[in-house]
Amino acid sequence: MALLKLEEVTKRFGGLIAVNAVSLEIESGEFVGIVGPNGSGKTTLFNVISGVFFPEEGRVYFEDKDITRLPPYRRAPLGLGRTFQIPRPFASASVRENVAVGAMFGVLGPEVNVDQSLEIADQIIERVGLQEHRAKQAGALTPVEKKLMEIARALAMKPKLLLMDEAMAGMHPSDIDGMVQFIKSLAKDEGIAVVAMVEHIMRAVVGMAEQVIVLDQGSKIVDAPTKQALEDPKVIEVYLGHPPEE
Amino acid sequence: MKKDTGKYLPLIPVFAVYLVLFLVGKNMSGMWQLMAMLLFYCALGQAFNIFLGMTGYVDFGYVAFMGVGTYGMALSIVHLAQYEGLGAWVIVIGLVMAILFSTALSLCVGAVALRLRGAYFAIATIGVNEGFRFLIEGARIWNGSEGMIFMAELNRILGRDGASALATFWADVMVLVIAALAATVTLVYMRSKIGYALTALREDEDAAKVMGINVTKFKIVAFVTSASFAGLVGATSWALKTPYVFPPEVFEIHYTIEAIIIVLLGGAGTLLGPVAGGLIYGLSKYYLSIFLPGFQLLIFAPIIICIIVLFPEGVVGMFKKRFRDSALGRYIV
Repeated sequence: MALLKLEEVTKRFGGLIAVNAVSLEIESGEFVGIVGPNGSGKTTLFNVISGVFFPEEGRVYFEDKDITRLPPYRRAPLGLGRTFQIPRPFASASVRENVAVGAMFGVLGPEVNVDQSLEIADQIIERVGLQEHRAKQAGALTPVEKKLMEIARALAMKPKLLLMDEAMAGMHPSDIDGMVQFIKSLAKDEGIAVVAMVEHIMRAVVGMAEQVIVLDQGSKIVDAPTKQALEDPKVIEVYLGHPPEE
Repeated sequence: MKKDTGKYLPLIPVFAVYLVLFLVGKNMSGMWQLMAMLLFYCALGQAFNIFLGMTGYVDFGYVAFMGVGTYGMALSIVHLAQYEGLGAWVIVIGLVMAILFSTALSLCVGAVALRLRGAYFAIATIGVNEGFRFLIEGARIWNGSEGMIFMAELNRILGRDGASALATFWADVMVLVIAALAATVTLVYMRSKIGYALTALREDEDAAKVMGINVTKFKIVAFVTSASFAGLVGATSWALKTPYVFPPEVFEIHYTIEAIIIVLLGGAGTLLGPVAGGLIYGLSKYYLSIFLPGFQLLIFAPIIICIIVLFPEGVVGMFKKRFRDSALGRYIV
């Protein structure tokens, strides 16, 4: 059973086809990178998976349950977590409260009360290394700390699948390596499947993903193990243009 | 903060202020009316804060809930005064009716309007208040624009002395109890999942949804709670203090504006904020109208602007931030 399965998903905005008949499968515990140039439909695909948009055609399954038209707040308790490209902290709340929200309304939601959620938050905050900033207002964190907090918040939901939207964008290369290792070990420990969306930072893709899906103009053009995918002539063409003719 | 006892410490300063207001009013001659007015503003702020402060949504039709609450009490008194056996229970029934009326109206309004965001919600709610008033007047519901006067019925129920004691003292005490109850509910919400959900949706509604929060549901919870307290304030502070009800008076948008000012002055979403806001607003309004009659609004507007500029998060919001890490911080939320 695939953890996440998309069947011929199409999403249009007026006349523009943002995602064109994309099918894919993610197994549990897998680490998949979604790459593609600007405007290739990555973010729309993420939004369809997390329920921000409903697709016009095709179906989305999570653990064989049809979630195509399920509102986003009902997907989170199933085990679908997500981080945003630009972190979206609940700025006036403390880091601890932010992370606790994840525990309260995620997979564990129905079982935990507020105090238990705060305890879970404390553990996860320690795991991502933000313990010094626990009581700080989330809005006062640095950009990298905000990213970490958002990851912590998503982890507190105990997701089975974590969608990471440009998790490395705007980070220093030395931070990226650290972050990649960190996310990998986290995902392994917790048995979380991760789908990371990356625009340009191949360094992150190569270091992280076992499988790479390449999108171009809304369509999936390649779905293969990382090395193979990045050497595919179609991928090179998408990023670098046509090879010069002899 | 893990101990349950620590959780409710922030109620102490709130209750302390209410107690002081009560004691000053009771023991200093001529002060009761001013204290009653301050309590009214505190109660109004405390009730509105549950919605405006906790969700960040501005409801311009808020006074409509006070209006239907007033009608709930008025209708109970008018229709039940003839049953001798009920006695003072008529007032209790009136309070229940006030809650039912305001809850019902807020459910109807909320189920539709709360699907709108920000400014669109605010615009939609302006129509609710005026629309409801014209419905009552135009369709001649509940005596239409003639309103209801129920002095005689109150006298019959409680006797002349009883009715006068109710209007000049007990109604205000009820307002105090309502304010204290609203404060307690606010803190209970803050400490529960409801409060966390409301904070999340106030800060970023889309992120909150993706985190698994049914934002519409929690907005409706805050809206209905806030509205039912407004209904109670209307029933006590208006219907019982001045035993008549006219549509133009109880659906006066002015009170909504006052409630917004009180919540923002004190600090939206804080527990102590509405108390501070109610005191600042009530006291300045009262003394300005004594010392500078006719000019009070001219002076009052710049004062409000100054406070908003100096304390963008409200007076209590600023203190809350400053004392975040100190021992005092446990009392200010």
